Amino acid sequence: MRTKHFIMTPIILLGLTGCGMGEDSKDSELALIKTTNPSPALIEKNTKEDLDLVESIKHDIASMKELYDVAIVKGKKDTLVAYKVKHFYRFQMKKIEKKMNEMLEKKYPDENFTVSSDYKIFLEAVKLNEKMKDPNFSQEKANKELKKIIKLKQELT
Amino acid sequence: MGKDKKNLTPEQQKYQVLQQKHEIKRPIIKNCIRAFWVGGLICTVGQAITYFYIYFFNFTEQTAGNPTVATMVFLSMLLTGFGIYDHLAQFGGAGTAVPVTGFGNAVISAAIEHRTEGFVLGVGGNMFKLAGSVILFGVFSAFVVALIKTILIQWGVL
Repeated sequence: MRTKHFIMTPIILLGLTGCGMGEDSKDSELALIKTTNPSPALIEKNTKEDLDLVESIKHDIASMKELYDVAIVKGKKDTLVAYKVKHFYRFQMKKIEKKMNEMLEKKYPDENFTVSSDYKIFLEAVKLNEKMKDPNFSQEKANKELKKIIKLKQELT
Repeated sequence: MGKDKKNLTPEQQKYQVLQQKHEIKRPIIKNCIRAFWVGGLICTVGQAITYFYIYFFNFTEQTAGNPTVATMVFLSMLLTGFGIYDHLAQFGGAGTAVPVTGFGNAVISAAIEHRTEGFVLGVGGNMFKLAGSVILFGVFSAFVVALIKTILIQWGVL
């Protein structure tokens, strides 16, 4: 009987924390599990030219058959591209990243891209995207956060 | 074995045939299914812990592996100490031995067993009696793989 308690308690706790997470309806809360497909975000100027640029980047990347979810945040200097790879293609992650880098460098030589398939980077990109919808969230803060995400991507240990 | 059989009396040979007939066969498929489910369950818990670290802390997919392994070994240590892991291992077999929790179990059970011999010579000296070979061959195979990779990179294959 006691053994049963010991096994059941963690399972119930896990279940409860899992359910608790679903209460908030924000996209970023569930970005790890389901497809969110956020619209590309611009931190600096919102000119039509730039909007078209990020839209076209998003379109190019989303057209790759190996991916199913893409988040793009364009900052002052860097552009963050986070994506999720379909499970069947996860063995070829490095190849996909190389292919994407080559394609982006060729098509948009003026941009400085940071490409990542990491779930954490995707989650942070979606969170930043959501925060930027708030008018009180300044550009400076957004740029700082973007830099933080890019730094996180470069960490290896 | 063949030599032994020659020396057996006819009665003994007859008994061996009888014994073979009544010997309980190892339920291999059943064991495999149990190992699959129990091992899968442990890995699911590990995946949940990885997501926990990614979601609530500043860990990426690449770096979340280390704290996940530490947590799994810690959990298996608690379960071994409470005597639950033994029951789980009896049911799951290889499913509990192959994941990193099996390694934790091997370390902790040896430490508990030799606790009566004192902390230094007992616990300290015997802690890695079972798991030592895992560490040795793990480090050695990692060294060999790294050597091969270095050579391949030098040659320009990779």
